[in-house]
Amino acid sequence: MKEAKLPGRDWILIPAISLIAICTILTSTEWVARRTFYSTGNPARYCMTQDLSTGYRGIPNSVCTDKEPETPLIEYRFNNCGHRTTMECEPKLPGNYRIVVVGSSVAMGWTVPEEKAFAALLPAELSLRVGRRIEVYDEAFPGKAGSPHNVALRFNDVLAAKPDMILWLVTSWDVENAVFKESSSEVLPDKTRKTSFLARVESRIHEALARGSIAEEILDLWNSHSISYMTEHFFYESQSLYMKSFLMGPKAEFLRIKPSPEWKEYLQQFDSAATDVEGRAKAAGVPLVAVFVPGRAQAAMISLDDWPAGYDPYKLDNELRSIVARHGGTYIDILPDFRDIPNPGQYYYPVDGHPKAEGHAIIAGLLAKELTSGAVPALRLATQSQSIQEQGR
Amino acid sequence: MDSASFQFVMFGLAAALMSNLSRSRVWRSIVLFTASIIFFLQLAHSPFVFLPMAGFLLLGYIGLVLIERGWSKSTVWSILAVIIVYVWLKKYTFLPEGILLRSPYFTLGLSYIFFRVLHLLIESGDNSEKRHIGLGAYLLYTLNFTTLVSGPIQPYDEFARDQFAHDPIVMGPRTVGLQLERIVRGFFKVNVLAMILHAVQEDALSQMSQPLPLTQKLFSAFRLAVAYPFFLYANFSGYIDIVISLARLMRVRLPENFDRPFSASSFLDFWNRWHITLSTWFKTYVYNPLLLALMRRISSVALEPLLGVFCFFVTFFLVGIWHGRTSEFVIFGVLQGGGISINKLWQLGLTRGLGRKGYKALAKNPIYIAFGRGLTFSWFAFTLFWFWASWRQIDKVFNAIGVAGWLEVWLAIWLCATAVLAIWEALRAALLSIKTSEGPVLTNRYARVVYATALGLAAFAITFLLNQPAPDIVYKAF
Repeated sequence: MKEAKLPGRDWILIPAISLIAICTILTSTEWVARRTFYSTGNPARYCMTQDLSTGYRGIPNSVCTDKEPETPLIEYRFNNCGHRTTMECEPKLPGNYRIVVVGSSVAMGWTVPEEKAFAALLPAELSLRVGRRIEVYDEAFPGKAGSPHNVALRFNDVLAAKPDMILWLVTSWDVENAVFKESSSEVLPDKTRKTSFLARVESRIHEALARGSIAEEILDLWNSHSISYMTEHFFYESQSLYMKSFLMGPKAEFLRIKPSPEWKEYLQQFDSAATDVEGRAKAAGVPLVAVFVPGRAQAAMISLDDWPAGYDPYKLDNELRSIVARHGGTYIDILPDFRDIPNPGQYYYPVDGHPKAEGHAIIAGLLAKELTSGAVPALRLATQSQSIQEQGR
Repeated sequence: MDSASFQFVMFGLAAALMSNLSRSRVWRSIVLFTASIIFFLQLAHSPFVFLPMAGFLLLGYIGLVLIERGWSKSTVWSILAVIIVYVWLKKYTFLPEGILLRSPYFTLGLSYIFFRVLHLLIESGDNSEKRHIGLGAYLLYTLNFTTLVSGPIQPYDEFARDQFAHDPIVMGPRTVGLQLERIVRGFFKVNVLAMILHAVQEDALSQMSQPLPLTQKLFSAFRLAVAYPFFLYANFSGYIDIVISLARLMRVRLPENFDRPFSASSFLDFWNRWHITLSTWFKTYVYNPLLLALMRRISSVALEPLLGVFCFFVTFFLVGIWHGRTSEFVIFGVLQGGGISINKLWQLGLTRGLGRKGYKALAKNPIYIAFGRGLTFSWFAFTLFWFWASWRQIDKVFNAIGVAGWLEVWLAIWLCATAVLAIWEALRAALLSIKTSEGPVLTNRYARVVYATALGLAAFAITFLLNQPAPDIVYKAF
């Protein structure tokens, strides 16, 4: 018995239908993705300037807005000294206790409105607990400008704010980029630059030929489109999918019990930068308190109190405590507190990875709790009457 | 390469291509055997790990030869020996540690080899017609890479009919197109759909142990219970889709293993649609002989229906415990056997109460069918807790919301499953009723091309570009 013949037209029609289906699905999905997950470009181009020695810093008295694919439109307002903080760059009021925050993007409140960043929420939380007015002046900068090496380079600016205490927010990114030096070539691509479709296709073909790998070129092409971001966003809404993907990738190195030699080197570089930062704080007679803020995967592991073999979410925390304590600083530990936070992954942007406003509120609460638990003598918990007085002001 | 990976699909397609270079049965057998051996060698680094499995296969073949040579008494002993060695190699937890092999060895596919070997021994013992199965045919049948990992369990005669046919079954562009479409569908089910459903289940499971408000936990429990049956279906039926298509491209027709199981309106019907080849095997080699044996001993007409209920319980209890080596699977077996026998008793009771006509009329009532479908799904979802979870996990999830909470959850699952599955059935029927002269519009080849392209594109993006790891084939472990 023979199979019925396929009509001759089907040899053309079926591949054509398939091709049309591919084009329709890709273009329509990309269209939806571009309208849902769009980015306005990096605000660094509008209200930040680059200092070759210390990296990006805010242009004094400037304001710009930015929308990353997953975030709402965020305003970045820089004060008269070029810092993104709720206060002007002026001497503290008599009797106030001033904390100057240093660090990178999380410390700066990247991707959250200024009033919802932990640095804006912390003064109220602390003042209520301590019974005196606490002000928090945020001198953190995003990206590599906030790396530990650059924190040391900017230290005169930090001391110029006359801090009573320096709070250094450290993330795994900071450890990995401890000695990054901003270079003039490190400028983010200008996404607003328009080129014709044909020119882009030609450029892609040239790149693929130069690279010699079509697979890598397809991957790059995919990653450069919003459809990729949208797909990742929906997948990483799931904590388990995010965890699997994260633990497979190179960014999970700091969670491994036996990290790579490369990661060990990062830690050594961080140790060296921390020596510098803490040495300068010590010389100025200002207490320095360091705290490690976990990323999404780490927070989820701690919250579940369960993690795969070969990983330990507390490992880097312990290493940082030992480094900070060795150089005379104070280390406060907020990681164990994440055990009591159900599903902490929901407080981070799934692809971007920065904490959302709710995440900053949690960080502020945990910092207030740990800073007033006795680790910093000047911030000991107040008596009830002091708290009432403070509330009355 | 042991699951529904891209590599496995490409390997299968390459084997199919080679197999079709000649219509000769010798050539096709050489290709299948070579592919099966390569498939095995890909899965283990040392040939020594295959020794226990080779011993098992040899034991089965010796039994087969003895039966073929007329040693009729050897049938029972061969079957017993095969069962005992299988239990020993699978390291069932009731066995003392001291008698188990300590060095690691290969057991992937052993369960399915076991079914095939037992089938050959029983059929050869029963068969009045003398037939001879040579060592080559025996190895080809038992080690066939398309059915090795998770079935389907194909009877030898069906395999031999296609594999050793002088004039192999036809294969033109239509068949190739349909099989490629099914491979894409299976790949999507395993690598995308099952992965998403697995993530839903894992997220819900992790939320059950967190300090969340009760309403959120009830919702997590709902998702936990509902996601797993769909995950298991996508995972297993997707793999089966791939292997059936690969075998078809090698001109062998494998039996279907699934027939829209969640449209079953009773648990009895469910097991006619879920893992069909396994339940058929057990009905053939456990239910039927057991019922016959009991009916020979107990001649009471009044007890006859109850004997059937008892045999159903035993059969599906065995189906349940076959799935695993631990005590959880004993409960899983009890729940399968219990579900089937209670369903049978319910049918008997209704037939007695309403009369045969009355019961038939009720069984055709759409509302009765819808609620029955919802209940079947809910019961299966409930039994699966002893399938995927350990006792510690079961304890944790059941204590998380208490008895009252779970009662609310199961009631909600029943009602939701009733409504959602009824809507799905109605929608499906409505869509398939849109027809042209060639049949339903949605199943014509142009619609299938669009459908397969969309699924293929999604699978490509998620598997290769996002590099998302899909969970392993669950039935591979059994």
